[in-house]
Amino acid sequence: MDKKLRLRINEISKSYKLKKKDYHKVIDSLSLDIFDNEFLVILGPGHCGKTVLLNIIAGLETPDVGFVELDGVKIDGPNPDMGMVFQKTGVFPWLTVMENVELGPRFKGEAKSERRERAQKYINLVGLQGFESHRPPQLSGGMKQRVGIARAYTNNPEILIMDEPFGALDAQTRYSMEEEISNIWSIEKRTVIFVTNNIEEALALGDRIVLLTECPARVKEIYEVNMPRPRDLMSEEFLLLRQKISENTDLSIDSEV
Amino acid sequence: MSRKKQISKFRYNIYAILSVVVFLILWQLIVSLGYGGIIPSPVVVFRTFLIKMTDSRPDGSTLPTNILVSLQVACTGLFLAIAIGVPLGWLMGWYKGIDRFVRPIFEFIRPIPPISWIPLTIIWFGIGLGAKSMIVFFASFVPCLINAYTGIKETNKTMINVARTFGASNFKVFTSVAIPSAMPLTFTGIRIALNSAWSTLVAAELLAANAGVGYMINMGRSFGRVDIILVGMVSIGIMGYIFSYVFKKIESVVVKWRTV
Amino acid sequence: MNNKNILIKQILYLVLPVISVLLLIVLWFFASSVNRVLVPTPGDVIDRFVKTFTNPINNQYIWGHIWASLRRVLIALFFSCSIGIPFGILIGWNKTAEATVGSLFELIRPIPPIAWLPLIVMLLGIGEIPKILIVFIGTFTPIVLNTATSIKLVDPLYLDVGKMFNANSMKLLFNIALPASMPAIFAGFRTATSGGLMVVMAAEMIGAQEGLGFIIQRGMDAFDVPLIMVGMVVIGLVGVFLAVVTNYLEKLVCHG
Repeated sequence: MDKKLRLRINEISKSYKLKKKDYHKVIDSLSLDIFDNEFLVILGPGHCGKTVLLNIIAGLETPDVGFVELDGVKIDGPNPDMGMVFQKTGVFPWLTVMENVELGPRFKGEAKSERRERAQKYINLVGLQGFESHRPPQLSGGMKQRVGIARAYTNNPEILIMDEPFGALDAQTRYSMEEEISNIWSIEKRTVIFVTNNIEEALALGDRIVLLTECPARVKEIYEVNMPRPRDLMSEEFLLLRQKISENTDLSIDSEV
Repeated sequence: MSRKKQISKFRYNIYAILSVVVFLILWQLIVSLGYGGIIPSPVVVFRTFLIKMTDSRPDGSTLPTNILVSLQVACTGLFLAIAIGVPLGWLMGWYKGIDRFVRPIFEFIRPIPPISWIPLTIIWFGIGLGAKSMIVFFASFVPCLINAYTGIKETNKTMINVARTFGASNFKVFTSVAIPSAMPLTFTGIRIALNSAWSTLVAAELLAANAGVGYMINMGRSFGRVDIILVGMVSIGIMGYIFSYVFKKIESVVVKWRTV
Repeated sequence: MNNKNILIKQILYLVLPVISVLLLIVLWFFASSVNRVLVPTPGDVIDRFVKTFTNPINNQYIWGHIWASLRRVLIALFFSCSIGIPFGILIGWNKTAEATVGSLFELIRPIPPIAWLPLIVMLLGIGEIPKILIVFIGTFTPIVLNTATSIKLVDPLYLDVGKMFNANSMKLLFNIALPASMPAIFAGFRTATSGGLMVVMAAEMIGAQEGLGFIIQRGMDAFDVPLIMVGMVVIGLVGVFLAVVTNYLEKLVCHG
C-alpha cells in the first residue's frame, strides 16, 4: 500500500482556563500524519485530550498553537469531507432512525429519493433493516451507536472520526460492534480515526496505533499492526503486542480531570 | 480564547446596561414630548418613590410600612406552607400509607387556583394577617408538597439499597438517604412557591386589605395616581427579586454537594 | 415479610383513601352543622351548582361563564405562544438579543402579572381587551423563559452533530435546537396555562360581567357561599380539562 498523506497535524497545543491565571494544558505540541484509507487508532489513557484532539481535527474547535491540514489545506471549520461518530451517540431522539441517518444529505438539500436510497444502504450495512421508523428511545445502546455509524457513512465522508463510540456499551456488544466496524471498513474503505482507551480494542481494529501520553497529550509511540483481519484475539502476535503496549502505558486508574 | 470570552462577557454587560438606559431615556422623551397620556415620566416616578419613603399619603402608610406589612403576610404564609408542605411531601413520597391517605384530599384541592380562595377566606377569617397568610399558604403549599414528594420518589434506588445492606432501618434510610437526595428538588419547589406566594399576595391585597403594597397600588388607582401605581409595581418587583436572590444564597449553602 | 403482612398492607392501601374522603366529608358536615351559612353542606353546593344551569347569573348560565373565562385564557395563550416562542428563541439563541431585549425582559419579569392589573385598568378600562392583556402578561413570561432557557442549554453534542453535517445557523436552530427544546416549551405552556387561569380569576374578580371569577365575586357580594364554592370547583375542573388537553397535544407533537 503506497501511503498518501491526507491529514497533517502540526505541533498543536491547547489549554483550558480553570480559574484565574490557572491553565490546564490538555494537548502539548502534538504532531501526527494520517494516511489515505488507513484505520488509525488513537489510544490514550484517562480522560485527557483525546476528544479535544478529535474536535480540533473535525474543525469544531481551534488549537491555541499549530494547525491541521487536510490535503494541504488548513482546516478552519467543519468540513463535509469528514464525518464523526460521537462518544454519547448524539442520535436525535425526536427523529426516526431513517430521518437520523439521512440527516447529512438532507442538510445539503439532496433529493429525498436519492438520500433515502443511500441511507437505506447503510442502514442495511449496519444491520438495522426493519427499524427504519423506530425512534431512538426504543433502541438499545448498541443500536443507537449503529445509527450514529450509518449516519456518518451516509454523508459520504472521506475521513471518519470515531470518538470512543463503543465506550458506553457492555463487553458483549462491544466485541460484536468491533467486528462489525472492521467489516464495514473492509467493504467501504475510508480513512478512519478511531479513539479508544482500550488496548484490546485498539489492537483489534488499528492498522496503526498511536499511543498518547497522560496529560497533556503528546504522541508517545506509534505501533504498526500487520495482522490479518478478522484478528485472532488470542494469537501470540496479538498478545505480545498487547503486552508491549501495556508496558509502555501509564496504567493509572482513569483519573477524573 | 478565554480572554476573548471575558471581553465578550464585558461587552454583553455593557449592552445590557445600555439597553436599560435607552429604555428609560425613550420613556422620558415620550412623556416629555407629550405622548405619554396619563403615564408619568421615570423622573416623576423616582421622585414619588423618594417622597413615599416618608409620606403616608394617599393610602395611609409610607412605602416602608407597606412593604413590611406585605412581607409579614408573605413570610407567615410561606413559612407555614414550607413547614407543613415539605415534610408532608417527604412522608408521602416514602410511606405509601400516608400517600394513599392524603392524596385524595390533595388532588381535590390542587387544581383550584389559589386566588379563588380569597373570597372564602375573607368571609371566614376577615381581612387580617391570618386570612391573607392563609391565601399565601394555599398558593405556596402545592408546589412545596409536589416537589418534596417527587424528590423522594426520584431517590436513586442503588443508594437506598446500599444503606439497606449496611443494616439501616427503613426510617434511617428515609432520613439519611432519601431526604438529603430530595433536597435539590425540594428547594426548586420552595422557589416556585416563593413566586406564587408573592403574586397571590398582591391579588389578595388588591381585593381586601387596608395596608400593603398591593393595597397601595389599588389606592393609586382609586386616586388616579399612576406614579403611585408604578412605584408600587417597581417595589414589588424589587422585593421579589431580593427574595429569590436571598433564597438562592440559602439554597447554595444547604445543597452544597450539588454544585460539586 | 410474610404473605399475611403483605395482604394486610394491600387492604390498608385500598381502605385508606376511602377513609380520608369519608373523614373529609364528615368534617365538612360537622362544620356545616356549626354554621350552615358560612360553611354550606356538600349537598347545598351541589344544589347551587344544579341551579346555575336553570337560573342565570347576570343573564348567563354556567356554560356562558365557563366559556367567558376559557375564551380569555385561550386567546391570551394563543398570543403568548405566537409572540413568546419566537421571542424566547431570539433571546435564547442570539447573545446580543439576550443582552439587550433579554435584559429588559428580566427587568420587568419580577413584577407579578396581577400587579399590572390596576395600571392596565386605569389605562384601558375593564373591557375585554385589558382582561386578555393581563392574562397575556401572566402566560407570556413562563413561555418565554422556558423557550429561551432550553434553546440556550440545548446539548452541545447535538449542535456538534449538526456542524459536522455542515448545517448552517438557521438549520442548527430550526432542525436541532428547536425540536430538542419542545418538551421544555410544553412544560412552559403548562405553567402558563395554570398561571393564566389564576390571573383570569383575579381579573374577573376585580371587574367583570361574566366569567368564573365574576361568579365567585358575585357569591361574595351576595354572601352566597355555595356559589363561591361552585365557582372554585368549576375553575378547578377547567384547569384539569386544560391539563389533559395539553398532555394530549404534547404526545401528538413530541411523538410520545
